[in-house]
Formats: sequence, C-alpha cells, structure tokens
Amino acid sequence: MKNILEVREIRKRFGSKQVLDGVSFSVPEHCVFGFIGRNGAGKTTTMRAVLGLLRTDGGEIEVCGEPVRYGAVPESGLIGYLPDVPEFYGCMTAPEYLRLCGEIAGIERSALKTRCSELLGLVGLEKERHRIRGFSRGMKQRLGIAQALISRPRLLICDEPTSALDPVGRREILEILRTAAEQTSVLFSTHILSDVERICGRAAFLEGGKIVLTGSMDELRAMRSDTDLALTLSDPADTEKVTAAFPQASLSDGRLIFPKASEKDCAALMAFLAEKMIPVTRLERHEADLEDLFMEVIGK
Amino acid sequence: MRGFAVFFVKELRELLRTKRLLILCCLFLLFGIMNPAVAKLTPKLIGLMSEELAAQGMTVSAVTVTSMDSWVQFEKNIPFALIILLIMFSGIYTFEYSRGTLIPLLTKGLSRAAAVLSKCAVVMLMWTGGLALCFGLTYFYGDFYWDNSAVHSLFFAGFCWWLFGLLMIGCVVFFSSFAASSAQVLLGTGAVYFVMLLAGMYGRAKAYLPTRLCDSLSLFRGDLHPSDYTAAAVVTAALTAALILAALPLTKQRQI
Amino acid sequence: MPKEIREYLPLLIPLIIVQFVLLGCALWHILHHSSYKRGSRVLWLVVVLIGMEFIGPILYFLLGKEEE
Repeated sequence: MKNILEVREIRKRFGSKQVLDGVSFSVPEHCVFGFIGRNGAGKTTTMRAVLGLLRTDGGEIEVCGEPVRYGAVPESGLIGYLPDVPEFYGCMTAPEYLRLCGEIAGIERSALKTRCSELLGLVGLEKERHRIRGFSRGMKQRLGIAQALISRPRLLICDEPTSALDPVGRREILEILRTAAEQTSVLFSTHILSDVERICGRAAFLEGGKIVLTGSMDELRAMRSDTDLALTLSDPADTEKVTAAFPQASLSDGRLIFPKASEKDCAALMAFLAEKMIPVTRLERHEADLEDLFMEVIGK
Repeated sequence: MRGFAVFFVKELRELLRTKRLLILCCLFLLFGIMNPAVAKLTPKLIGLMSEELAAQGMTVSAVTVTSMDSWVQFEKNIPFALIILLIMFSGIYTFEYSRGTLIPLLTKGLSRAAAVLSKCAVVMLMWTGGLALCFGLTYFYGDFYWDNSAVHSLFFAGFCWWLFGLLMIGCVVFFSSFAASSAQVLLGTGAVYFVMLLAGMYGRAKAYLPTRLCDSLSLFRGDLHPSDYTAAAVVTAALTAALILAALPLTKQRQI
Repeated sequence: MPKEIREYLPLLIPLIIVQFVLLGCALWHILHHSSYKRGSRVLWLVVVLIGMEFIGPILYFLLGKEEE
C-alpha cells in the first residue's frame, strides 16, 4: 500500500516551548486518518507544516512522494485544506467563492461549472443564495470542505472540522467527510474521540510533541483487549470470599473491579461464582473505548 | 500570472461590493469640484466680509480670481485625498493575513507574489483613476470659468502627484509585508513621509527628495521647470520599485 | 441675483448630487448594519447628519464601516 502522506521526525519550537518533538506518522491511500490530541498538543502546527505554511526546525514531509518545503505551495491540487476556523470573503456567495477557488487552482472553465454545482450539492449548499457574510459556523465549515475538494485532491486535511458544531452539524460534517473519503484520503484532527470511532480507519495520538500511539482502529482496540470486569454481588458479605480467591480484585463503589481481565479470567471468575453458589446482581465486561486508551496514553 | 489575473478580478469585485469604489469615486469627484468652487466663491465671501472689515477701518480691494487660484486649491486638497485613499487601503493586506482568508487560496496554488502584486495593482489603479478624475474636473472648470493657459506645467504637476502617490502606496505594500495591523502600516507610511520632510531641511537634498514632487506651486508659477523635478522623479520611481520588490521576499517569509 | 446663481450652477449641481449620493449611501449602510468597527448606530447617524456636507459620510466610511 502506497502512502499518501509521510511525516518523519518533524520538530518545531515556538519560543521556549517545544511543540513538536519528532512527530512521525503516515497516511495510506483511501483512508480516513484521525489525528487525536489535546487542545494545544500541536495538531494544527503539524497540519500547517504539511501544507508548507509553517517552517519546521527539522524533519521531512512527503506528500505522494514529493517533499514539502516551506513557502512552496504543494503541487496544485494535491492537498485540500480546511482550516480550523475557515474564513472566506464575506461579500461573495458560495458559488462565486468556489468559482474563485477553481480558477486559482487552474480548473478549466467548462469543467469548473459542473464541479461547483456537484460540490455544492455534496455539502448541501446548492440552494444558498446569500452572501458568505451571513453564514453560520456549520455552513462555513461545509463551504470549507467544498473549497478544499474542488481540485479533487489526493489528500484532504481538515483541522478540527467538528469541534465548534452542535451534534446535528457534527453528524452532517462527518457524513460529508465519509462521502468525500470515497475519492480521497482524509486526515482530520480532533479531540472528540467518538468522531474518530465513527468514521476513521486509522488514528494517531499526539501528546507531548510526539506520536505516542498509532495504528488501525482494530489494532488500537486490540491494545485494550484486557478489559476490566465489574462484579456486583447480591450480598456484600460474600465479598471476602471472592477477594480471597482473586487477590487482584479491588472494591470500589460497592463493586468489585478486576483490572485487565482476559476472557479466560472472566470464565474462571464465572466458574468460581457458580461453584461457590455466590449470587450475583451484575457482572459487566467493560469494553475499553478510545477514551480509556487516550487517558492511559497521556498517563492520566 | 493566472493567479494575478484571477486575484485582481476578485479584488475589484470586493471593491465594488463593499462600496469602496463608489465612495472613492464620490471623494475624488468632490475634491475635483471643490477646487474651482472654493476659488470661485472666494471673492463672494470676501465681498461679504468687506463691509464688516470696512467698519473696522480696513479696506479691501476687489479680488480677481483666475484659474491659478483653483489650481492652488488642487495642490492643497490632493494630499487629503491621498491620505484618505491610504487610510482606506491600509488594511488591504493585513486584514487578509490576520483573518486567514488567504490560506485556502494559497493552498490551491496562488503564489504570494501574485497576491501582493495584484492588490498593489488595484490600489495603484484606484489612485490613477481617482487622480485623473480630480485633475480632469479641475481642468475642465478651469477652462470653463477662466483660462488654464495662465498656469504653467499643469500636466507635469499632475504626473508628479501621481508618482508621489505611487510611492506612498509602495510604502503601504512594503510595511504590510511584516506589519501586524493596518495601524502599523499607516504609522510606517507616515514615518517615511516625516523622514522625507526632515531630510528636506537640508537644502542640498531637496532636489532629490520625493517631497519635491508635492511642490506644484513653483511649477504653476513658472518658478521651477519640469527639468528641476527630474532627479526627484527618478528617485521616487526607483524607491517605489524597490519597496514593492522588497515586499515580495518579505511576504514570502511571513508566517501566514 | 438669479443671473449670479446661474453662474454657479455648473459647480453647485454636481456638488449637491455627490453630496446626496454619499449621504444616502452612508445612511443606508448604517441602517442595514448592526455592528460597526467602532461607535454605535445612533452615534454614526448623528455624525453623518451633522457633518452631512461630506465630512460625516467620509468619516463613517473610513472609521465606522465594518470590514467584510
């Protein structure tokens, strides 16, 4: 599988703060890549470096095998970019703005017209006749995706496309991204983990200026296959019997927690409970989600 | 080159939509009419005042107005028109940089040089058109009421003002390449003018300074000839070109 | 007197037209926008009407009109 984006050991220092301290990751073709990190972790910095909008202190970035240099615009149409707070010329309408973008990108006049209406349809702005000045955040975000896609880029970079939106707007944007991903790779940053779980194929965690974890969603989930078991007994008096047999269990909120219990551990516990005839109100296997993984990764 | 043309059209469209073009037109129209109007009305006003003055024991002789008075007004007023134009366009770069509206276009292959130059071209076009309007009106009324031939080197004086305006626009372009706000751009442009005024105190430098171009009065009266302005004009043109050329690499360095 | 006024008409008519165009534009713009770079709607209406001989509208467009 060929990689669309290859980031190797990039570093960036702002004043005394080392924002990026050797970030490396790669985005394969036809993949929605989630770029996860806390606010201020350096997600935007990394993306701007990929676009050649930011001078890095070291490291290499390759897009489709082409090295990216500061100030030099990536070969036109290779990357589409949606900034975190997209701002457009308020006195234009959405179709006019898309036309401008297309003309800058050098799309043929005849092809441009159909491309514009196609994209406006994709993002649901085809009936919007007002000037951009009056657009809501969600509408600007959608127009932002449309302008980013105009030259059919191989890689679409979205900086926190969903962070400022209400649940409905978020769902719409995610759906648009999913549709867009049929034709391009998508790299999108977020701190909302459920978004990543919903549409991403791969993800990377950025923390402390480094990628602390990366892999496909299945791999990431597998890392936390040792899930916790939570056991609630009918009679609290039985607690000691259980803890005597399973010393790793700890009591919290009246529940017994068995950390990192494999499926085998689970079966053993159930066998023990059945053998001793201990009544149980509830036995839960707590499936780890990305949030747990994230918390574990950042050491909280 | 394609980027330049597309961006140029976009800038013009913005000027039209934000009504700036209309305001500028009105402004220069206004200044153009005011010059002869003030000249024409002066004797009337003095006539009204003369009765009062006479009561105080002063006598006022009859004033005859010529086109010269109108052109003196032109020299007095055109700096204000230029200042208003500069204020109006002082944020044309910094506003885009700070809002980030340029980023989507830059990532689509618009070169920074094309953006800088096309904006510069638009402002220069506005100055050219505005000055022509203002000059044309003053000229028209000058012939309508009086006779322009009494005034020397009219067109050359107009050209001098045009060149001086281009220099000031060049300053805006230059300072915009690193200034954070329109206020800083104006401050820098003002500082350049101030420095030129200070330098003008040395008599020997005077003939080479761009501020020499603002002295239309000596031209009108025939005290100085266009050839006395050649050095200043060459310096101004060179300085303008240098400022704009310097802005290109500086803008390329700029973190947008 | 009428003859004298006629002499000034070529100056006055365009002047008045430009003045009213500017005034109209400024008023229309103030009433169609709710936010300004600085100042408030009432302030700008007062400024434009008091300085309606060009100064008011020009001040508004330079200092009060919001950038888009």
